[in-house]
Amino acid sequence: MKGKKLKIGIYELTGCAGDALMILNCEKELPAIFQAVDIQSFLMAKSDNIDDELDVALVEGSVTTEKEVEELKDIRKRSKIVVALGLCATVGGIQARFQDPQKWQENFRQVYGETKMELPAVVSKPIDAYIKVDFYLPGCPISKEQFLNFFTRVVKGAPPESYPQPVCVSCKYKENDCLLKNGLFCLGPLTADGCGAVCPSHNLPCVGCWGPVQGGNWTSEFYLLQDKGFSREFIKKKMANFAGTKLSEFWKQFDRRD
Amino acid sequence: MKIVKLKKSNLHPFLQAASQDAELWAPVRQKNNKHSFQPIKDFATIDLNYTRTILPPRKLFLPPQFNMFQASLQGYKEDFSHVSPKVIFGVHPCDLHGLLIFDEFHRQNFEDPYYLKAKENTLIFGHSCWPDDKCFCQSTNTHLVEEGYDLFFSELDDYYLVWIGSSRGDDCLRLAPELFDESLSEEDIKGYIAWQEKRNQAFKLKINFFAMPDLMELRYHHSLWEKLGQACLSCGSCSLVCPTCNCYNVQDQPLLSQDASNIQRCWDSCMLENYSAVAGGENFREKRSQRLKLWYTHKLQAYISKYGKPACVGCGRCIATCPVDINVFTVSRALEGEEVEAFWNRLAKEVNP
Ligand code: SF4
Ligand code: SF4
Ligand code: SF4
Ligand code: SF4
Repeated sequence: MKGKKLKIGIYELTGCAGDALMILNCEKELPAIFQAVDIQSFLMAKSDNIDDELDVALVEGSVTTEKEVEELKDIRKRSKIVVALGLCATVGGIQARFQDPQKWQENFRQVYGETKMELPAVVSKPIDAYIKVDFYLPGCPISKEQFLNFFTRVVKGAPPESYPQPVCVSCKYKENDCLLKNGLFCLGPLTADGCGAVCPSHNLPCVGCWGPVQGGNWTSEFYLLQDKGFSREFIKKKMANFAGTKLSEFWKQFDRRD
Repeated sequence: MKIVKLKKSNLHPFLQAASQDAELWAPVRQKNNKHSFQPIKDFATIDLNYTRTILPPRKLFLPPQFNMFQASLQGYKEDFSHVSPKVIFGVHPCDLHGLLIFDEFHRQNFEDPYYLKAKENTLIFGHSCWPDDKCFCQSTNTHLVEEGYDLFFSELDDYYLVWIGSSRGDDCLRLAPELFDESLSEEDIKGYIAWQEKRNQAFKLKINFFAMPDLMELRYHHSLWEKLGQACLSCGSCSLVCPTCNCYNVQDQPLLSQDASNIQRCWDSCMLENYSAVAGGENFREKRSQRLKLWYTHKLQAYISKYGKPACVGCGRCIATCPVDINVFTVSRALEGEEVEAFWNRLAKEVNP
């Protein structure tokens, strides 16, 4: 895009700040990034932040307080494009595993007792539970390469490409022997690619940290893992870890069968 | 075709001579005990005692991901950095047939310079093999080779019979003629025939390929496809490891600090949901069962009807790879109406009533 620089804001809700950190970790490319766009707001990187109209807002973290709900809605109002950055923003993160509001209340009371909270909490949810999201960039945390590809496309006005393929594709590119075939608990077929299959390439099964891939066959892998000797409870726990709220329909169908 | 003899102790000196100006690639045993074609620095790492590598040798000619060219408003600059002089040693007959199918594919209609240039720059040395319980190249008639190699090494006791398959192969031998023996004895010939017969008896897995086009037609609407679709994980592994799968995707990668884009090419798979997605949000093969049907139409039917041979070379990689036992063997048995001992037949009752 020639002429005016895009106005960008990078925001952090509830998460580990790993995605914002990963952006700062693009050390070699940082000068080019700052040259290409006008970073208006980025709390981790600078203090003179302006929260005004934006071309692109990158939002990390899940929504866990009433204040964050308001902040998020405000970001949406001010921004032409909103991007969910990282696993927490795209699926709700590990903190969104307890989706049942009843159970959540119980857990909450167990941890915090009757303490009066400064920031009233809500059940943890991905940002698309509250606002329209234009693009998703999953990862726990996002990968540098994936971010730079994405960022460059946005800057050049080319629509970013999503990652609708499973980890297995990169895993085969790397010529790994399939761990799932060998009886290990690998979630590669159900997980969005973007990391380049780092774990299986180090002989570790994928735990699913990039979140659910579009079109993943959860039912079949569930029974496959059961066939390999894993218990239903164990499979459910492991599958839920990084799936956030995105598997709720699957669990409903599944629990009906239980 | 000329056949010469090479003592086993002369193999490494010969490979040394043949790869003086090229990178030598050969099968190497990986940490997980599986094999892979790798660049060789130390001859001792070459392990010829293998049946199949995880990826077929096509990865040397068209790597999983590479840059095709850089484009800008000024024009474009082709990138052939994946092409360099190579010698690939230890390629089994099934994979040589796979490359022949690849040659055909990348020459017909449009010539693919990325494949053909890499191929021109590579010497191919085949090697004999012994089938395991997943090999069925005898059924696809790809257990023997007559073309598609520069040299082919048949391993017998303490020597090789070396077939010379091209003038480039012949030139190679002339680099170190003293290592070879041109006269074959009656005993050598008998030894080879006996080995051949023994190998022919060693194939356990058999598939009646020439019945498959009809069976595909007859069972095109059979419930078997739904069942397979319920089990398939859409992981793409079957096609990524298959020596005759050639689909790819092309993506633009704009460069941050230049007004230019890299145009990149990477292996794709028709088993992935996004493969048949088109502009406007349509998808021609949204269901896994439809995608499986396409793959098996390619392997078991269409190619046989057009070229008189299957687009499967019997390497057994899909058998060794698919986590849910969907492979050419189990699918062909199911098409024949046989009960198949496979995960998809054991898929829980509630999924598969
Ligand atoms: S090891 Fe895991 S990620 Fe790799 S192919 Fe197997 S299931 Fe997929
Ligand atoms: S857990 Fe899976 S998605 Fe996460 S980094 Fe490892 S291989 Fe990639
Ligand atoms: S279909 Fe299977 S056995 Fe046939 S060539 Fe492909 S991977 Fe090998
Ligand atoms: S048939 Fe098997 S290897 Fe192929 S995509 Fe389906 S699950 Fe993966």
